[in-house]
Amino acid sequence: MKNFLKLLLAALFTVSILVACGGGDEDSNADSSEDDNAEEAGTETTEAQIGSDDAEVELVFWEFGNTGYDVLIEEYVEANPHVSINLINQDMNDLHDNLFTSISAGSGAPDIAMVEEAQIERFKVAEDQFYNLYDLGADQVEGDFLEWVWRSGQNGEGSFQFGLPTDIGPTVMFYRTDVFEEAGYDSSPEAVSELLSTWEDFANVAQEINDKTGALMTDAGELVYNARRDQATETYFNSDDEFILEENNQIKDAYDYVADLFDAGLVGDIPLWTPEWFAGMDDASYAVFLGPAWMQGVIKDNSPEEGIWSITTMPEGAGNWGGSYLTLPSEGENSEEAYAFIEWLTAPEQQFKAFQGYGLFPSTPAVYEMTEFQEYEDSYFGGLNTAQVFSEAAEAVIPVYKGRNYYPVDDEIKEALDNVSSGSDREDEWEAMLDRVGSVLERQ
Amino acid sequence: MATKEKSRKLTERKQNALSGYLFVSPFFILFAIFGLFPMVFSFYLSFFRWDGLTPMTYVGLKNFEIIFNDSIFFSSIWNTFLMGIMGTFPQIIVALLLAFALNSALIRFSNTFRTLVFLPYITSVVAVAIIFSLIFNNQSFGLVNYILSMFDVEPIRWNQEYWPVKIAISTMVFWRWVGYNTIIFLAGMQSIPKELYEAAKIDGASIGQQIRLVTLPMLKPVLMFVVFTATIGALQLFTEPFIFLGRGLREEGITMVAYLWRDAFGYNSFGTASAAAIVLFAIIIVITAINLLITNRVGRSKKVQ
Repeated sequence: MKNFLKLLLAALFTVSILVACGGGDEDSNADSSEDDNAEEAGTETTEAQIGSDDAEVELVFWEFGNTGYDVLIEEYVEANPHVSINLINQDMNDLHDNLFTSISAGSGAPDIAMVEEAQIERFKVAEDQFYNLYDLGADQVEGDFLEWVWRSGQNGEGSFQFGLPTDIGPTVMFYRTDVFEEAGYDSSPEAVSELLSTWEDFANVAQEINDKTGALMTDAGELVYNARRDQATETYFNSDDEFILEENNQIKDAYDYVADLFDAGLVGDIPLWTPEWFAGMDDASYAVFLGPAWMQGVIKDNSPEEGIWSITTMPEGAGNWGGSYLTLPSEGENSEEAYAFIEWLTAPEQQFKAFQGYGLFPSTPAVYEMTEFQEYEDSYFGGLNTAQVFSEAAEAVIPVYKGRNYYPVDDEIKEALDNVSSGSDREDEWEAMLDRVGSVLERQ
Repeated sequence: MATKEKSRKLTERKQNALSGYLFVSPFFILFAIFGLFPMVFSFYLSFFRWDGLTPMTYVGLKNFEIIFNDSIFFSSIWNTFLMGIMGTFPQIIVALLLAFALNSALIRFSNTFRTLVFLPYITSVVAVAIIFSLIFNNQSFGLVNYILSMFDVEPIRWNQEYWPVKIAISTMVFWRWVGYNTIIFLAGMQSIPKELYEAAKIDGASIGQQIRLVTLPMLKPVLMFVVFTATIGALQLFTEPFIFLGRGLREEGITMVAYLWRDAFGYNSFGTASAAAIVLFAIIIVITAINLLITNRVGRSKKVQ
C-alpha cells in the first residue's frame, strides 16, 4: 500500500511537471478558419505602427479581414499628428478569442477592437468592460447609421452602445455569365434575377443547368443554407433568448431545401475557406455563389479575369451576413481620442473609401445618396453598377436577432448538413443535431 | 567556543540550504504561477458555472453531471485512446529504425538526412494543416482518394467517417512527431560505445541481433523517456484534430483536450471545461502510474539477469 501511494505521488509529480512543460503547445496553433463567419481566411497576425514615433497618444487597434484601414489611418494621423495608431490584424476567430480572454482576465485588451456582428452578442454581458459610446457622444452620429445595424450594437434596453458599425453584409447572388450562357440563358443581371426569382426557380434552373452543361448550381451547399437562413425573420433564438429552432419552420425548410439539392446532386459539398473552395471560383464548374457584399474581394482575388462574374439579386430577397463594429474596451486610457478616431473612420466619407477599396458595404445611408457611389461601376463585374445591386439588397434586409449561442447552434446544423451530403438520413441528422444543441445549451 | 562553532556551522548550513533554494526557486515560482495555480483554479472552477465575463455561481456537481451525460465526452475519451495507440506505437517503432539507420556508418550524407527527418517537427502548423487537408480531402481529387480510385475504391470522406478521421489524424501525429523521436533515439544511440557493436560483429551478430541485443537494452532509459512523453502527448492531443476538423470538432475525431477547449472557448462554459480537465487529469495520473509500474518491473527483471 505504501509503495502504491509512493507510486501515485511520483506519478502525480511527473504528470504535473510534464503538463507544465507541455502546456505551451496548445495555444501555439494558428487556426485555419473554416467558419462561415470569417470574412477572410487570413491566418497570420500582422502589425503596423502608423504615425510618428513621438505622438502623444498611441492607440492599439485590433482588426480582422481585409479592410484597407491602413490607408485611411495614414490619412487620419496626418491630420492628427498627436495620435499614432498601432494596427494589428488577426484571424477573425483568434481576434475574438483573444479579446474574450483579455477582457475576462482584465488585462491585455486594445484601445479599439473590431467585433463581428454575431460575435458581439457574446460580449454584451460585459457592459463594465466597454465604454458606453453614448457617454462619448455617439448620440450625435446615431442618425447617420441604418437603424437596425445601430440597434444590434447596443444592449437590450438601448441605453448602452457597444460599438459603431463599420460595414454590413447584404447578401446577393454572384454568378458566372459563361455558365449561364452555355446553358442557353440570357446572362444579363436583370434576366438572371428574373429567371431565379423564387427558390423553386432556383432548384429548377439548377437541374436544367446541370442537364445542359454538367455544372453544379453552386459548389458549397452550405452557402444556399446560409442564404435562406439569413432571409428568415427568426433563426435559432427569439429576442428573449429562448431556443426556438424546433418550432421554427423557416430554418427547417431551409435545411430540407438544401438536403433536396444534395440528394439531387445539384450542389457540391466543398467546405468554405479551403484551398479547393478558393480554386473552384476560377473554373466554370458551378453557376452561382450566394454571398454578402464583402465576398467580392474573395472572388476577385481567386478569379482574376474580368467580365466572367456578375452580380444580381438573390431569389426572394436578401439577408445580412457579417459586418462589424468598432468597440472601445474600458481598459484603454484614451477613450476620447479613440472615440474621435472611430467616429471619423465610420463616417460616410471614410465608409465610401472602404467600399472602393475592399467592397465593404457602408452602414451609413448617406453614402447611398452620393452620386459617386451611385455611379460607381466595377469593370470586374462587366462594368456593372455594383453599388446599386448591393443597396437594393441592403434595403431588403430584415434584421434578425441572433443571440450569444448563435454560432454553436449554427455549427451543429452545418455538421448535420455535411452528413446529409454524404448520404445520411436527413430526419435522423436533424434529431441528432437537436440532441447535440440541447447538450450545448445545458451548459449555459 | 565549541557551541559558538556549532552555531556558526548551522547558519552556514542554513545559508547553503537557502542559496540552494534560491537557485531552484525560479523554476518553482514559475511552476507555481503557470502550472500549479491554473491546476488548483480549475479544480475550484469545476464546481461553478462561469461564462468568463459574469460572476461565477456555485453549482455543486452539476458540471460533472452534464459531461457524464454527454455521449460526446465518452467519444472524446475513446478517440483519445484510439488515436494515441494508432499514432504512438508505429511512430516509436519507425523512429527507432530510422535512428538506427541514421546512426549506422553505411549511410552517406547522414547529416542531411538527420535534418530532413527533423523538418516536420519545426514546420508551421498552418502549412501542415493545408497539406494534410489536401492529402486527406473528401473530394475525389484529394491525393489519397485519387490513389485509392486507381484501385476502384470510392472516395472516402476523411473528416466525417469513423475510422478515416482517426487514420488521418494519427498520420498527422505520426508525421509531425516521428522526427523528434528519431533525434532523441539517435542521441541515445550515439552514447552507446562503439566497442559493443564491434564485439557483437566479431561474434557474428546480424543487424537484427545488434538492434535486439545491443541497441535496445542500452537504449532503455531513452526508450522510457520517449514512451512517457509520447503517452502524455497522446493524451493531450489537440492541435492535429483542431486543425484537421476546424472549430466544429466533429464527434468522430474530437479528443479530450479538444472537448474541453470547445467547452471553454466555443461555448464559454468554463465550469464544464474544468470538470472535463479534472477527469482528464485523473486518467493521466492512472496511466502514468501504470507506466511507472511497468518501468519498475522491467528494470527489476533486468537486474536479475
